[in-house]
Amino acid sequence: MKRRRLLQTTLAGSATAMLSGGLTTAVGDDSSFAGIIDSNVSLFRWPFRRLPLDETEKLVAKLRTLGTVEAWAGSFECVFHRDLASANARLIEECARFPELIPVGTVNPALPGWERDLDRCIGEFGMNAIRLHPTVHGYSLKDARFREMLVGAKEAGLLVQLAVTLEDSRTQHESFATPDADLSPLVASLAKVRGARVQLLNLRPRRSHMVELAAVPNLLFDAARADGTDGVASLLSTVGSERVLFGTHAPFLIPEAALIRVHESALDPAPLRSVLRENAEKLRS
Amino acid sequence: MDLDDFNWGLPSREQLDGYRIWDAYFTPSIGHPGSDGVSGILADMDRSQRAALELGRFEKLCLFPHVGIGTTSDPDLEDLLRRRPGVVRRLFEHWPGRLLGMIQLNANDPQSSRDALDRWLRDGPMLGVYFPGSGPGALSCSHPHFPPLVERIAEHGGLIMQHTWFVTGGNPQPGMSTPTDLAALAAKFPEQIFVCAHAGGEWEKGIAAVRDSANVLVETSGFDATAGFLEKAVRELGPERILFGSHLPSRSLGTELSKVTAAELDEQAKRLILGGNFRRILGMAAPGVGQ
Repeated sequence: MKRRRLLQTTLAGSATAMLSGGLTTAVGDDSSFAGIIDSNVSLFRWPFRRLPLDETEKLVAKLRTLGTVEAWAGSFECVFHRDLASANARLIEECARFPELIPVGTVNPALPGWERDLDRCIGEFGMNAIRLHPTVHGYSLKDARFREMLVGAKEAGLLVQLAVTLEDSRTQHESFATPDADLSPLVASLAKVRGARVQLLNLRPRRSHMVELAAVPNLLFDAARADGTDGVASLLSTVGSERVLFGTHAPFLIPEAALIRVHESALDPAPLRSVLRENAEKLRS
Repeated sequence: MDLDDFNWGLPSREQLDGYRIWDAYFTPSIGHPGSDGVSGILADMDRSQRAALELGRFEKLCLFPHVGIGTTSDPDLEDLLRRRPGVVRRLFEHWPGRLLGMIQLNANDPQSSRDALDRWLRDGPMLGVYFPGSGPGALSCSHPHFPPLVERIAEHGGLIMQHTWFVTGGNPQPGMSTPTDLAALAAKFPEQIFVCAHAGGEWEKGIAAVRDSANVLVETSGFDATAGFLEKAVRELGPERILFGSHLPSRSLGTELSKVTAAELDEQAKRLILGGNFRRILGMAAPGVGQ
């Protein structure tokens, strides 16, 4: 796992050096920035429509133009396939073609033998993070298997990315409508698995649940759907700038949307760097 | 790489100025303007200033004032707006020369709506009407109250912005209209221009529903920046039938502007969508305004 992690970090560093025209890439240097880490992209085809960036070459080319030097990539196949071992293996192969892409495997604790998929992600694939899709995969965050999976991920030092949704529930395909994940049991689950690191993806922050979620230590967020002209600033003020990672949810969402939104929020330089890069970097260390 | 040199996914300032952006759906405090009739809107305008004016370089923005005909559930406010129409006019002084207006109509109250059309549309300065999708003024545009109102709006040369959604999850709100409802209404008034706000939200169905209604344009705001929307809309409708809307400040410049500027479209199409089409149809509605 460490070898793979080191390899990815080194490759990403090379890309950073290329993109920055040979400038120093030291994080924290006031005059330079080592590039964005996007914590939320997905590869392969969205089943309900073709997306302009659903070919990995096009997606990576777009991310490069936006200053992204590293992207944590899940797989749409892993959302919809039951053979996650194969789907995760294809994700690994695809990510190996692009130095920016860090594979994030998927585990579905509702499937028999999910423990083997988790073990493969940790051992065989050397992943640093896994992604969960509780509503699509049909389990509650109260489910004992979810908690067991959290324990396993924690022991392996994995980040768990929990996709609250993939699409606004109002615009989903009629035959495939799933509500946002019910996050209320997460508070209790994380209290029992202290030290587990969980990042919520694609959450639309709402006052009604943000106070409770903000009180959960180690719970991280992305800003892919933190909408409103001051949506990102508001999220940071609620949960703290050290707990929000940049994420685009590309290619399902237009990646420029999240980036412009961060800019629009007029963050001070320190929290801006934290969100765009440093918070993600800390998860690697 | 230096953060000061980032483009942040935005076109250059020169490009944005070249687009001449006219925002067809600016929604500061759209549900309730504040108990004094303006303070909520003015606060939301200030909140939108960086996005709309400094970063987006918008030339003009169109908002939808309440005018005291029962489109809010605040009786004191409704009374104030009826008695003191000057309150509404104050909004336009906050950003002089920037704002356009279309009044919110209450199709549940046709008589008050007709009176408001005479006061605000015939006599100015409003350029059209907005039929809301929620609140006490919401009514499906398939309701029989609509055709007589559309006739009156047409007499005054007004544009019609109709809130629309196809809701596939969630709970549809009472009084909400779908693009299919709007297409049916528009078929009865082929000379009248209608705007299908939010392209129906679930835009694949929304675009299909209005595709054959040449007098219906779609507006781009109000849903996540789902990739492929504008490309599909241009393929099916042509770039001349699409209006950019920002939905600021409850939505973001990032979500809404990127739908157009990051889409795989030629520059001429982007210019039409971002402002050219709105100027054209407003010019049709009120000669001189869209110049």
